[in-house]
Amino acid sequence: MPHDARQAEAQLHASRDRLQVAPPEGTWRLPLPGSPSHAMLLDKRAVSANLLLGSGLVTVALLSLCLGSAMIPPLDAIRALLGQGDAMAVFVVQELRLARLMAGLLTGAAFALAGCLMQTLARNRLATPGIIGIDNGATAFAVVSVVGMGISLAPPPMALAGAAVATAITFGLAGGAGTRGYRFIVAGIGVGAVFGALTQLLLARVAIDVANSAYPWTVGSLNARSGNAVSILGAGLALGIVAAQMLARSMAVLRFSDAVAQGLGIRVRLCRLLALVLAVALTALAVAVAGPVGLVALIGPEIARHLSSRRGVPLIGSALAGAVMMVASDLAGRLLFAPIEIPVGIVTAVVGGPFLLWILLRPAARDLT
Amino acid sequence: MSQGVAHVAGKERLSLPSMFSLLSACLAVVCLFSLLFGAGEIGPLDSLLILLGKLDGTTAQYAEEAVFVVQELRLPRTLIGLVVGMALGVAGALLQAVARNPLAEPGLLGVSAGSAFAVAVALMLGASAATLRVSVAQLGALAGCLCVLAAARMRGVGNDPVRLVLAGAVLSGLLGALTSMILLVDQRTADEIRFWIVGSLAGRRIEDLHAILPSMALGGVVTVLIARPLAALALGERVAVGLGHHPQLVRLLVIGVVAILVGATTAVAGPIAFIGLVVPFAARALAGPDIRRTLWLCLPLGPLVVISADIVSRLVVQPSELPLGVLTALIGAPVLILVVRSQRLPTL
Repeated sequence: MPHDARQAEAQLHASRDRLQVAPPEGTWRLPLPGSPSHAMLLDKRAVSANLLLGSGLVTVALLSLCLGSAMIPPLDAIRALLGQGDAMAVFVVQELRLARLMAGLLTGAAFALAGCLMQTLARNRLATPGIIGIDNGATAFAVVSVVGMGISLAPPPMALAGAAVATAITFGLAGGAGTRGYRFIVAGIGVGAVFGALTQLLLARVAIDVANSAYPWTVGSLNARSGNAVSILGAGLALGIVAAQMLARSMAVLRFSDAVAQGLGIRVRLCRLLALVLAVALTALAVAVAGPVGLVALIGPEIARHLSSRRGVPLIGSALAGAVMMVASDLAGRLLFAPIEIPVGIVTAVVGGPFLLWILLRPAARDLT
Repeated sequence: MSQGVAHVAGKERLSLPSMFSLLSACLAVVCLFSLLFGAGEIGPLDSLLILLGKLDGTTAQYAEEAVFVVQELRLPRTLIGLVVGMALGVAGALLQAVARNPLAEPGLLGVSAGSAFAVAVALMLGASAATLRVSVAQLGALAGCLCVLAAARMRGVGNDPVRLVLAGAVLSGLLGALTSMILLVDQRTADEIRFWIVGSLAGRRIEDLHAILPSMALGGVVTVLIARPLAALALGERVAVGLGHHPQLVRLLVIGVVAILVGATTAVAGPIAFIGLVVPFAARALAGPDIRRTLWLCLPLGPLVVISADIVSRLVVQPSELPLGVLTALIGAPVLILVVRSQRLPTL
């Protein structure tokens, strides 16, 4: 792999020097307007994977606008989205389903992007925020603000604080950058268990109806979202995607050993730290909306990695796949046992659990690199 | 013999009988506390008077209520805590010995979750909670145990103790999610087991204890029979065969016993994690690696941990109560981290 990367790097330089060089195999050369000597290389597989995931997302989103206790044909749904058609459909689509769709889309993208960043920086595909306890930390702190323990902060900042604390504890216990493989993960599971118990403790101390209203949120549900938290998440996710794209090149190099990455001119520690901060912030904002739906952060990047090429880190692809998975799970949870609604966290756990077991138990575990 | 071991180890260690009696004395004190303290308004002093049979100077109604609380609520609870603690401690030690993994804990590995799931499925299919629970829970636990054993025998997993735990945690999570799905869909099941599924000793009746005593006795007898072969097995497969034991048979028996014990405790108290990790861990730290010594110490240590946690769970959030599982997680997760963090996992 390092050999390939060096080759690609060399080819890139060559193409800059001599204008008329064929682009490397599997990429498109996109000349930048205004500067004839510079061009962008687009990975064919990555582009087509993202297009595929994007169209999947559009389909699922449209389905989730149409399906429900009141069925609305697709064309009517699109018209209602634009504010036309009968008032009932407009109300259902715009007021009820669109808000829920946006919440699912944004949380799914944020969880999966954070998962992809964490997996890459820890060089371990199991090191997703949900598994190492960050979700639970954010939930525990956010529950404090929900149940009103005299702290009148909104869920998002509290979730941020909780995620930061849980991350600090897990990484502190794991002794640094988490390169000790499975032990790091189990230490994270322990931290997660403590925070989960703290959440229960908090819920046990308040009146039963307050606890009941907070319950679906502690298993992960799009039902209890607050509009405010969703818009904060939207802003955070937009910033996060830009920042992740800026880190993308360094992240691709981070998959090699520290020595190689350093040799290629990446400031490894700084890059890790930035990616970690980004992942923690995205996870916390998403938890503030939907509660801990951690398995999306594991499966989203996994799907994206399967679809796109092995050359880079599929950050955008992960976000898209996560959004698809979240919206589809929420839709399934709403429809399967209607009128009873299954929280999206339970749906993803049922779908994702076997997959996670397969990753763990298959005979020759392939590493992330 | 135990003094000899202590001497060889070169540490100041109490002998096994004295440690055992010391822990039993602690346990007796904790049991007494468990009878005296509670979330209600019956104070420790009144409770003590009731135990001595000399409560007077109060209204008749109060006295009646107090006697009911102590004898019908706190006494069964303490007795059940005693049995549950013993069973979980012993089951943890046995499973760890046979999986050769200090992290193999029935609650963490999905055995308790398996039996809880089995009970939920049986209820959904129309069984009634009162009659079937124990045997169904034991069947579920057996399935969970077999999964654990199969995973431990898989190449690459068996010699990486941490990976087994990870797989177990995932399995528990999956079964937990399936169980909550059943509870959401089926209202009747949810009503029947809502307070049982969180893992707690509260509100259990003495009849529940009667229902599991035969299983516990069976588990105890088999444990006594296999302790010696198991200790031989710890020296290696060949040594065990050379000493005239049948390793495969011993393993099967251990799995059976663990399923019986964990299934029975889950049936009465719901799934409780981490006890089977903490108790053998402490027992090994006190008594050394010999499984027979560990098992002896698990007997008082298990109830000690369970009943103490139960007392705290009553007192923390008065006047309501905390599920026992919350407290055991608070105690057990740090121990889990401690074990994982130690540079070299002790091999069993």
